Amino acid sequence: MSVVVIGLSHRSAPVALRERFAFASHAIPGALQALRTSGLATEAAILSTCNRVEIYAATPLPPAEAFGEFKKFLVAYHAYGEALGDELYALAEPHSLHHLFKVASGLDSMVLGETEIFGQLKQAYEMASAHQHTGARLNRAFQRAFNVAKHIRTTTNIQRGSVSVMSAAVELAEKIFSSLADHEVLVIGAGETGEKTARALLSRGARGVVVSNRSPERAAALAAALGGRAVPFEHWTEALEQVDIAISSTAADHHLLDRARLEPLMRRRKRRPLLLIDIAVPRDIDPAVGALDNVYLYNVDDLQGIADGYLNLRREEVDRCEKIIAEKVAVLLQQASRFSDTAEPR
Amino acid sequence: MLYGLSTLYSVFLWRRGFRRDEWVNYFLLATGVAFHTLSITRRGMTLEVCPINNLYEATTFLLWALGLACLVYSLLPRFKFLAAFTAPVLFTVGVFALMPSLDPPHGAKPEFSGALRSLHAATILQSYGAFGLAAVAAGMFLMQRHDLRFHKLRAMLSLLPSIQRVELITFRLVAAGFLLLTLGLVAGWQLPRPHGRPYFSDAKVVWSALLWLAYLESLVAYRFFGRTGRRFALGIIILFSALLLTFWLTNLVSALHQPGVSGDPASP
Repeated sequence: MSVVVIGLSHRSAPVALRERFAFASHAIPGALQALRTSGLATEAAILSTCNRVEIYAATPLPPAEAFGEFKKFLVAYHAYGEALGDELYALAEPHSLHHLFKVASGLDSMVLGETEIFGQLKQAYEMASAHQHTGARLNRAFQRAFNVAKHIRTTTNIQRGSVSVMSAAVELAEKIFSSLADHEVLVIGAGETGEKTARALLSRGARGVVVSNRSPERAAALAAALGGRAVPFEHWTEALEQVDIAISSTAADHHLLDRARLEPLMRRRKRRPLLLIDIAVPRDIDPAVGALDNVYLYNVDDLQGIADGYLNLRREEVDRCEKIIAEKVAVLLQQASRFSDTAEPR
Repeated sequence: MLYGLSTLYSVFLWRRGFRRDEWVNYFLLATGVAFHTLSITRRGMTLEVCPINNLYEATTFLLWALGLACLVYSLLPRFKFLAAFTAPVLFTVGVFALMPSLDPPHGAKPEFSGALRSLHAATILQSYGAFGLAAVAAGMFLMQRHDLRFHKLRAMLSLLPSIQRVELITFRLVAAGFLLLTLGLVAGWQLPRPHGRPYFSDAKVVWSALLWLAYLESLVAYRFFGRTGRRFALGIIILFSALLLTFWLTNLVSALHQPGVSGDPASP
């Protein structure tokens, strides 16, 4: 009896197919029961997220035979009538364990090293365990996967840094200011990215938000949603005197802020640094502004550059992570071989 | 040797972009400072006086103060890399201090004694240590500021503190150094001088007073007249460089600080 995995993910199947095979959360206990009742698996857990649908199981069948049966089960369960090619992958030990460890560590995620999958995997395991569909094999495999993921997180840079434009903006602010709690954020334009970036800054402790938009109603609505205040669009430069972080994302076809306009403002701000995040295309802020002392100007490409840089750093860590995983899988298999094969599900 | 090793390791850390939060350099420097402490303590015990009697001793005392202050400040969150910026200063100035002419043999008895003189020498050299560490922090600020303004990824990947925090630490170090320098100069004023010689007739005293004024100007301009962090940091680095470059020269031409020249007791 060995641990196998069968499923599809963002690497093997498009979203149109993944959504056809997705399990609703409430349906998972029933599906697990069906798997065990059929004799296909003695232990099973289902991981179903927007990027992957996977069945982890301990099966008494030889892997080659089990894979065919699992595939039939999936197709029948989701009433899928079309032909399937390489979209569905199936792995037996040791590859199945290696895959599980990689998934837990975020190495198989769409955003390399992301941590959300760890929580989703934990939920999947806890659901299977709560309904008594796990036993010695899956318990050991999942517990070890969680330990390995934590180990990798603390000893490598695989989860380091911001890989999205919004989180890069937040990290940038933290590199300039000692504490965000002392600084207000000005959002110019009521666009979605500006709002998300402001929310991210607020979640990291920014003192408050000021919103300015051509449409006063939209500015008021966004300010209310963010717990801030709105200022008329004609007066946003005055607000710039008070705040230390400004996010601009208007649809203007010309520069809203140029050097001549900002220079006197900077004099009035004394030596306080000003972080300007221009995520508008075309840009709202004249690049010449970045030459002013104490002004830190970043546009969307600069932020993307930071995110890409972090992603490259994470990629550089993959080999180290793979090595750790290979070692841990070998240890787990050694330990497993010492146990008898008679462990039954709880 | 330990300061040299720490300098080499600092170059390695620099090239790696200060990405890993580690203690190696801190421990290298801490071991160096421990030996340094042992060395100046033994010398002091032998002389039975605070070991600041000649240029070599004054320089090593200054470096010791700088190293010790660095070890303390490195314990602040994200300030561990301060050691990497301090080690090259300790190493290069330390090598210079080894010049034999800076450490002439002592007489059979201590050349001077007294709590006030020791207080004068110790506070002045500690103030130089604080100014040195401020210059190191200012260098850290300028590097991080440059990386942030020119969108260098190193600014994000490095584990250095925020520039606002480094700027604040620099200011505090300069303020602490300034207070120590003031205390040291006041203590020096109280020391006995050859009859009829005014305090400000000595080259070293005039030099120290100019230094005091220059640091005062930096602090006031930054605090009250909106001098930018960049200018403040540059000024602090320039001032400390000037201090290092002229420190020996002013000692050599100072009658009050060259006992062999005038027969007066020496102090830094």
